[in-house]
Amino acid sequence: MLSRVADSLYWMSRYMERTDGILRMLRINYASSQDDIQEFSWKPVLRIFSYVDEEGATKMAHNTRAVLQYMVTDRENSNSVLNIITRARENARSVQDHITKELWQCLNDFYHTIRDEKLNHDLQREDPISILDILIKQGLLYFGTLDVTMARGEGYAFINIGKYLERGVQSADILDVKFSDMNYDFTKTDTTYWKYLLLSISGYELYLKTYRSGFDAKNVVEQTVLNEDFPRSILYSAGQLHRYFERLKGERNQEAFRHIDFMIGKIKSKVRYSTVESIMAQGLHTYLNGIKDDLYQVGIALNQHYFAYT
Amino acid sequence: MHTSELLNSYTVDPGTWDEMYSDLAVRGQYKGVVDFMQQMSIEELNKKEELAKRLFMSQGITFTVYSSGEGIEKIFPFDIIPRIITAAEWKYIEEGIRQRLKALNLFLKDVYTNQFILKDGIVPVEMVYSCPHYLREMHGFHVPHDLYVHIAGIDLIRDHDGTFYILEDNLRTPSGVSYMLENREITKRLFPDLLPGNNVRSVTEYPNILHRNLVSLSPRQTAHPTVVVLTPGIYNSAYFEHTTLARLMGVELVEGRDLVIDNHRVYMKTTAGLQQVDVIYRRVDDEFLDPLVFNPDSMLGVAGIMSAYRKGNVAIVNAVGNGVADDKAIYTYVPAMIRYYLNEEPILKNVPTYQLGHADEREHVFASMQKMVIKKTNESGGYGMLMGHTASDEEISRYKMEILKDPRQYIAQPIINLSSAPCYMNGKLKPRRIDLRPYALCGPDGIQIVPGGLTRVALREGSLVVNSSQGGGSKDTWVLAG
Repeated sequence: MLSRVADSLYWMSRYMERTDGILRMLRINYASSQDDIQEFSWKPVLRIFSYVDEEGATKMAHNTRAVLQYMVTDRENSNSVLNIITRARENARSVQDHITKELWQCLNDFYHTIRDEKLNHDLQREDPISILDILIKQGLLYFGTLDVTMARGEGYAFINIGKYLERGVQSADILDVKFSDMNYDFTKTDTTYWKYLLLSISGYELYLKTYRSGFDAKNVVEQTVLNEDFPRSILYSAGQLHRYFERLKGERNQEAFRHIDFMIGKIKSKVRYSTVESIMAQGLHTYLNGIKDDLYQVGIALNQHYFAYT
Repeated sequence: MHTSELLNSYTVDPGTWDEMYSDLAVRGQYKGVVDFMQQMSIEELNKKEELAKRLFMSQGITFTVYSSGEGIEKIFPFDIIPRIITAAEWKYIEEGIRQRLKALNLFLKDVYTNQFILKDGIVPVEMVYSCPHYLREMHGFHVPHDLYVHIAGIDLIRDHDGTFYILEDNLRTPSGVSYMLENREITKRLFPDLLPGNNVRSVTEYPNILHRNLVSLSPRQTAHPTVVVLTPGIYNSAYFEHTTLARLMGVELVEGRDLVIDNHRVYMKTTAGLQQVDVIYRRVDDEFLDPLVFNPDSMLGVAGIMSAYRKGNVAIVNAVGNGVADDKAIYTYVPAMIRYYLNEEPILKNVPTYQLGHADEREHVFASMQKMVIKKTNESGGYGMLMGHTASDEEISRYKMEILKDPRQYIAQPIINLSSAPCYMNGKLKPRRIDLRPYALCGPDGIQIVPGGLTRVALREGSLVVNSSQGGGSKDTWVLAG
């Protein structure tokens, strides 16, 4: 496979995973902003998913419609869903002969949907949940089409490598920002705070089933980092990343493979052999930052050994 | 309103060949479609038109127009009523094109090797050497199977009495074939059962034939040669076509930056290292192909590719330097080439053409500018063209000044009326002028022409210019089986 094609598939996939993360986060935070909880602020969302400065974030912190517009349809915000989808589509466009026609059409439709002026208008006037749901479903259509139609070749491996690397980074980010927002105070027991955090990463129901004794910050960390069955956990993401990377093993390029395989294996082991206690002992922030760094290093190595074409 | 009324409102322009009507009776080949349309209401037809637009948009069969830093997706206008060609007409066109391509290919071989045709004075030497597309880099080099033209898109038009004329031979990187394929797909969606009911020949073989031909050109004796399509990239207006062809043939779509030359061989950069490339169907113009040989500023090509080509380590399709054969001034000599190389009379006629480089012909043209269309010999896409009957006196005199600066660069042709075909416009059928571009594929086993092509249509009322850059659209093109 052409290096350029692998690169484009990888980024198409990362952008789509990011889109899904942003949309879910917005949807739940919107619900939370309508709930009767103390001091709701959009700041953490803006910190995780955009480059807006402190002043801008403070200004928007309590203006729900402004945040939605900024995060979804703003053309100036390079991390708005509109711009991310545009980039995902540009990547897909340049590899149309490597993804199925259905997948391309699905992404292309997503692009036309999000650029529709009416959608922007409705986002300002109508029920935002309905609008976000339209977009989330368009994303799910992408994931489903990918699963049902794409051949399980090298391209599929790169798509999944991008997806799980992005997801790992995202989960670490979300956890870190949410905890920093309450100064890593593990004694905080505000039930709604944890509930909305878990809802935003689709982990609420699993939490209820796993921990029957109410909300505990430690358990939230445990599930988000260490639960192997939780598809948004860092452990799961690292595992999948490894699984799909292993498919690239072949006759040629063995040295590069071994190098990156070692890096990913190390991340996986690092997470697998952590406990909540060991994480807290070295500090949650330090721990999550370390994981994020390691994941970024994998991205850089992939770029160097597999995607370099210019 | 019912569609029978819609047909009644159709009036053929005087002095024009209409593809659907002759003496106000529907021609046999259109009966099936006309009957079908008459069963539909305006609302239904409008819905079909909407559906067509949506399908083009959703499949990304679009080109991007950049304004204020933002890309806007546009679709190439499509008219829902097919253009229909009878079996007899097709047989004639097919034979004519085959004959013409045979001669043009021989001309290219000759002009880059022995130059018999120049020595015998059939084509003036200065005509060839003054052509910017005549490339000395190609001289004395034998291309595989002596094939220069692998893919041709020859433009045909019809005069008031229905005679077909060759308007242009496109032998470099003719585009539009994806529209031939996609327009057919759209018709299948718009009008269920209409195609099989009318005995329309299929066009789907095109990518298979092309792929077979490309594989057969591989210089390396290997079971699975690496064939690629070389595109200038996603910002090219024909990018959709490049990706469609790569997909339909199951080959890699590469950009110049994906390729690298080592020891006069072409390689592509893959995730598993370098992989040798055997055949390149390039959609990059000669000028940009190799910065070491041609335009040194080109970012679209591959440095050193010409040396690999001349060493015979890679096949390039179409051959480099074909522009000398589809030059608008050389065009005049194609009938002479057919007589010279094949000893046959040309089947398809040329449009009478005046060389403005010749003083007497220029004077004749200058005296009757209103009846002429003037074209630059090395431009395409309807750029740099003057239509005498619509131009103002001022435009004409300004254009004359331009011509006098370098008359070799211009030709003139009497304005041909172009046949008309019905188009669906705002609930009515209107005659609009059309041309025809069939696509011919030449391989070691001969010339094959897929029964169909691209019908371009001038959507503006009264316009004779069908180029997409000048407000043209397209139609699905049916060739009927017997």
